Amino acid sequence: MRKMNPMYRAMLFVWRKKGKTASLFLTIFVIAVFLVSCFGVLHASKRLSKDIRTSLGAAFYIRANTTVSTNENGQTEVTENEVHMTQKEIDEVMRTGEIKYCNPINYGFAKSDAIEFIPGEKHTKESSMGKVTALRFSALAPDFAEEAAVLTRGTHITDADTGKILLSEPLADANHLSVGDVLMLTHAELGKEDGAYTDEIPVKTAYAKVEVSGIYQWNTKSGSEKPTATLAENEIYASLDVLNELGESERGIYTGEVGFYITDPEKLSGITHSVRQLQSIDWTTHFIRTNDFQYRKIADRLASLGDLVKILLVLASVFSAAFLTLLFLLRMRGRMQEAGILLAAGIPKGQIAAGFLLEALSVTIFALLVSYFVSYGAADVWGRRLFDGLQPHLIDGKTLSAGGTGGVPIENYLKLSVTETLLLYLCQMLVVTASSLVSSILILRLKPKEILSRMS
Amino acid sequence: MSIMKICQVTCFYDKSRMVLDHISAEFEAGKIYAILGPSGCGKTTLLSLLGGLDSPVGGQVLFQGEDIEKKGLAWHRKHNAAFIFQNYNLIDYMTPAENVALTSKLPPLSILERLGITKEEARRNVLKLSGGQQQRVAIARALASDAGVILADEPTGNLDEDTALEIADILKECAHQMNKCVIVATHANELAAQADVVLKLRKGKLIRVP
Repeated sequence: MRKMNPMYRAMLFVWRKKGKTASLFLTIFVIAVFLVSCFGVLHASKRLSKDIRTSLGAAFYIRANTTVSTNENGQTEVTENEVHMTQKEIDEVMRTGEIKYCNPINYGFAKSDAIEFIPGEKHTKESSMGKVTALRFSALAPDFAEEAAVLTRGTHITDADTGKILLSEPLADANHLSVGDVLMLTHAELGKEDGAYTDEIPVKTAYAKVEVSGIYQWNTKSGSEKPTATLAENEIYASLDVLNELGESERGIYTGEVGFYITDPEKLSGITHSVRQLQSIDWTTHFIRTNDFQYRKIADRLASLGDLVKILLVLASVFSAAFLTLLFLLRMRGRMQEAGILLAAGIPKGQIAAGFLLEALSVTIFALLVSYFVSYGAADVWGRRLFDGLQPHLIDGKTLSAGGTGGVPIENYLKLSVTETLLLYLCQMLVVTASSLVSSILILRLKPKEILSRMS
Repeated sequence: MSIMKICQVTCFYDKSRMVLDHISAEFEAGKIYAILGPSGCGKTTLLSLLGGLDSPVGGQVLFQGEDIEKKGLAWHRKHNAAFIFQNYNLIDYMTPAENVALTSKLPPLSILERLGITKEEARRNVLKLSGGQQQRVAIARALASDAGVILADEPTGNLDEDTALEIADILKECAHQMNKCVIVATHANELAAQADVVLKLRKGKLIRVP
């Protein structure tokens, strides 16, 4: 016969009182699955909020300001300053915070024998040119990021590209150009003389051989009361080297604007504050424009959603803990006689409580183990169903570098990590331990005679 | 030579009604004592004090000349005194052998066999035994603890006449052959007739019946 220690007594109870064990198992199992699901929802809501913020992103642009001055004749003159940023200064800005991408832009104009530009206001053969926006990542250009334009064929321009351009669909169609076609661009400069638009570079000396990398479509309509050179349909997106070759920009010096892109809009203000402290940039002629209005529109709703989930979670946790304590109190009332018998036999109170605790913990561990697999199976099924449609498609670095617009693979946000799950289970075990001990103490604090007289 | 002694013990019900009024008595090993008295006279209270389930308001309970509170009531219950209850008080998810093993300092199966419980019965669920068999298991549990004093509170109260006689014989055997001090609180005159010493509890006083 084995020695009747608390562990052996606990084993006997768990094994022989199958109904009571099963009911405790089911209760703890249901609570565990419920709590894991609740925390899964919290986890998912946090990740979704972050994804939404990341998908919206935020940007800030360093631009040149305009100078207003009065000339000798007392007339007010407005001078458009030009951005002047070097790669060294850009690198300094990049080091200030969590900036993911930088997209310097240079502007210029270009002509091509292979392109008949769509006619604008006061169109002449001389003024037939298009605006060139040379940049590192065309997907990050404000028009594409805000979906005013969308790439319909081919790939975006990336930092690895040289001699690549994007044309608008009407311009490509009008000139029978498609992805992969190679053409020659030459420099141009829009001027105005006697009310007519002119090209200020009549003698062409610089040429750039370019390949059509993609065709894009405008989602917004632009007015035709503009000169040919500034019509949206005639805009050419090009890799940075194109304007360098055309002599309209210098390598490593950026005069258009420089966009910096961060993934979390919440960090925008901190980062721009740090950037403004940089001494290398002349802040009398440059300023920062931030762009996070899409995030601002939903920030309050995201915060409310997070708070709501947290409140629900606190309620669920408190309710579960209270329910477990109540359950153990009721169970202990049913074990009063046993406690009295053991006390009468001189078994110390600590050993009696330890026996009850070991019973509870052995059932709890088994229930948590089973609940782990069940909750993960359920999270797998429900997570995919729920988030397949909800999860925003994020542009990650890999996609951006590949010139695509696709998103990262869908993740199952309902699934907690192993560490989070273990932490949650540990908390549940602590609640079970506390509930079991409190309910034992409530009985064992009575004198043995009181217990036995209640029994009889 | 007395094994247990109570000196000027006083006890109250609900802090107002005195049930034991400065009583003193001595109990010897190898003898069976019967405590008689009407319901509510304090028989169970006296057994509780002797067994360390409760403490007296006044006076002392001594085991082998030492106050039982000195080493602690739990220690006294574990080593010196064992209880047998009217309603057996066996743990229902254990077999008879396991119930006996709860307190066992001696091998449970041999004690059970000695009290007429077969090995097969000793491994059944305790609730599948008859009342008489359950009480034998309770006695076996008391004997297994190797305590010097066995306190039995109405041990035959739930049993038929024949079984009650059998239990009385077993208790007598415990006292006379195993040299235990058996103290029985009972209403049953048949059981009292088997006792070596009969004590009567009336109006808080303990009187030895000649």
